[in-house]
Amino acid sequence: MKQILHILKYKILSFIRLDSKLSVVSIIKNFGSGIIYTAFAVGAFYFAKTLINFLLVEVTVGQFLLHEFISMILFIFFMSINIGNIVVSYSTLYKSAEVNYLITKPVEPAKIFTIKFLDNFFYSSSTLLMILFALLLGYTFYFHLGISQFLVLVLNFIPFMVSAGSLGVMILLAVILLANRYGVKRVAYIITGGYFAVIFFFFRINSPRHLVRTVLRHYPFVNKDVYLDDLIPSVIKVLPNNWLSQTAYWTLHGDTYKVVLFTILQIALATLLFGLAYYLGKKYYFKTWLVNHKLTAELNSDRKKISRFFNPNSSTDIASQVKSILRKDLLVFIREPSQVIHSLILLFLMMVFVVSVAGIKFVGLGNFYLQTMIYLAIFIFNLLLITTLSLRFIFPLISLEGHSFWKLKSAPVSLTKYIFSKLYATALIVLFISLVLSFFSNHKFGLILITFSLIVTVIATITIVIINFGMGGLFANYKEKNPIRVSSSQGASLTFLISILYMLFLVVLLFKPFSELFLSIMIKRDFNLLRLFYFTLPMVLISGLVVAAFYKAAVSALRRDF
Amino acid sequence: MLQLNELEKKYGSFEAVDKINLTVTRGELFGFLGPNGAGKTTTIKMITGLLSPTYGNILLNGIDVWKKPIESKMKIGYIPDQPFLYDKLTGREFLFFSGGLYELPHNKLKSNVDEMIEQLKIGSWIDKRTEEYSQGMRQRIAIASAFIHQPDLIVVDEPMIGLDPQSAFLVKKLFVDSVKKGTTVFMSTHSLNVVEEICTDVGIINRGKIIFRDKITELHKLKQKHDSSIEELFIELTDDE
Repeated sequence: MKQILHILKYKILSFIRLDSKLSVVSIIKNFGSGIIYTAFAVGAFYFAKTLINFLLVEVTVGQFLLHEFISMILFIFFMSINIGNIVVSYSTLYKSAEVNYLITKPVEPAKIFTIKFLDNFFYSSSTLLMILFALLLGYTFYFHLGISQFLVLVLNFIPFMVSAGSLGVMILLAVILLANRYGVKRVAYIITGGYFAVIFFFFRINSPRHLVRTVLRHYPFVNKDVYLDDLIPSVIKVLPNNWLSQTAYWTLHGDTYKVVLFTILQIALATLLFGLAYYLGKKYYFKTWLVNHKLTAELNSDRKKISRFFNPNSSTDIASQVKSILRKDLLVFIREPSQVIHSLILLFLMMVFVVSVAGIKFVGLGNFYLQTMIYLAIFIFNLLLITTLSLRFIFPLISLEGHSFWKLKSAPVSLTKYIFSKLYATALIVLFISLVLSFFSNHKFGLILITFSLIVTVIATITIVIINFGMGGLFANYKEKNPIRVSSSQGASLTFLISILYMLFLVVLLFKPFSELFLSIMIKRDFNLLRLFYFTLPMVLISGLVVAAFYKAAVSALRRDF
Repeated sequence: MLQLNELEKKYGSFEAVDKINLTVTRGELFGFLGPNGAGKTTTIKMITGLLSPTYGNILLNGIDVWKKPIESKMKIGYIPDQPFLYDKLTGREFLFFSGGLYELPHNKLKSNVDEMIEQLKIGSWIDKRTEEYSQGMRQRIAIASAFIHQPDLIVVDEPMIGLDPQSAFLVKKLFVDSVKKGTTVFMSTHSLNVVEEICTDVGIINRGKIIFRDKITELHKLKQKHDSSIEELFIELTDDE
């Protein structure tokens, strides 16, 4: 324990020193971060309150369905932390220079394992924790709960996250051990398939549509606020996300016995999983570390010859700067497994979203307000996907140049050409995806509305892409090779918050024209769709200013000393 | 060829490079010496466009490097002290990437790459990813990438780190041969024997100031006059006490 505390002391020391360099820029940066974090926490707080109010008062789903929706969101949250921890742990436990250093010292591998586990958990989850606290506060305030009830919810949330992280790291250990026996590719396919199967069966067994229909079928004979235990499949009842949503529900209804019961279950599971992860780490971490080295060496020697397309010898024309940078970026991207796996997962999720959204009925619901809300909710979700893509793939673009950036910085490449080369391919792909999302969200409307939405999407996507590129430059970290860690850093969290603020601005701007549109559809009155275009003017102006500011930020960041 | 005028780099109140004046003429193999933290790497980074000067200017063939960076960088080849390469690229891909940044015609680039592979005896390693390379092999690729566009000026920061004796011999030969062809080499190093062996001119920087700049022959004369080795002379010149 003494040794762990000793290492943690110096880790904290180096972390604090890195961020406490006093300069005007760093003060402004930290002050700005503080304001935006606070604004976002306040935003998340009001968002939670408004959403609960909307679901309970406007849509009248009842408290049971509300908590079942929360349970489903928590399941996705659990899976995200779990998968995220597998990916982040792989690079920090097996590929980091810090581990390579510590392994050569008389430190037990189990201690290194524990330190890195805690490091991953708190480093990657700090923003998430802040948002969660704000959302929980929103929930607590909406239902007029006290501080003790809020603390009970927090007390349940932390072990819930620890369980997800511990399970992730155990799966990682198992994957490496199994890969040694059955081959990397085979195990990777099985694990990926397994995760898809778990998600698929969860929603198959626990279909939200089926649940809503069942509850509404018996309404008003059934009180929608009563906990309809019989409607929840028994397999779902043993999942920690369900315990957590039940803790919230019973806290609301003052059933102390059930709250204590689920809290104990939650803490017991986290303790068990963390203990098991520690035990497995102690037993297998060093073994898997050696296995990973062996597997990497085998993969290197088995590597096939590169295809003609990527072969630098096959080209015959002038090797232009843009082409060289594009080719380099593409090769580096496709050879980094985490980049490829993440792209495929995100593309899969996009496809699922497109298929789901294409079938949603917007009109004829009898409530224009509800229609507007659903339309804008889908609009926000589209932009959230674009923000996620940008954060994951645009934000790290400059950081991923790494220490090798000396080659480009000392080469005769103009900044404009460099920025164009970096953004050209990635931004086009993001733009294409955003247009597909926008088209399928609007394809049931007329041509004018489709065109309007596409224009709005193009402007918003370009703005979000440039925000991410500029912030990626300002917060460039050339020491970090892992794109996932770059896109979950403090700078990335700040970028996400700025993008959310921009999205809120768009929603506020578009709320009025869209509610008027849906009202006119409901009362069958003519609506001049061209009126919508008036709203593009402030949007173009603000977006233009945002783009100019963040482009400038990117340029000045690239001009900085290296 | 290369002129540093009143060149200064300040970090807050600390003067890493203190208004130095230095001229290196065409065809010189200039050895830039100095103890750790004297300002060698800072000076080199300012010449190659990685650090901006706080005062003064750098002229390459009369062109201000910081006012016309693209034009100047076309004529410079840079070898850093730490040969960081893109891990996922092979050595060959890195060389083609480097050549592409100088917009070389493909056939010319291909023949230059082959020539460098041959000269630096990189062999079959060239088609392996650089993440598998040793420090010495990375250094050879970084050196090859600096020569790929046949620049007028080669700026090198500690070229011998991590090189085995055979590679060190090849690199020294490469520098000497390129100087014979009219290229200028500006080389920072700690290896005094390398300076003695191949440099035509030498400069010593200490605490951000140039304290010696002359032909290597003059250094030899000084050495004889003081009846000491170049090592003892260097220590004497840079001793602050």
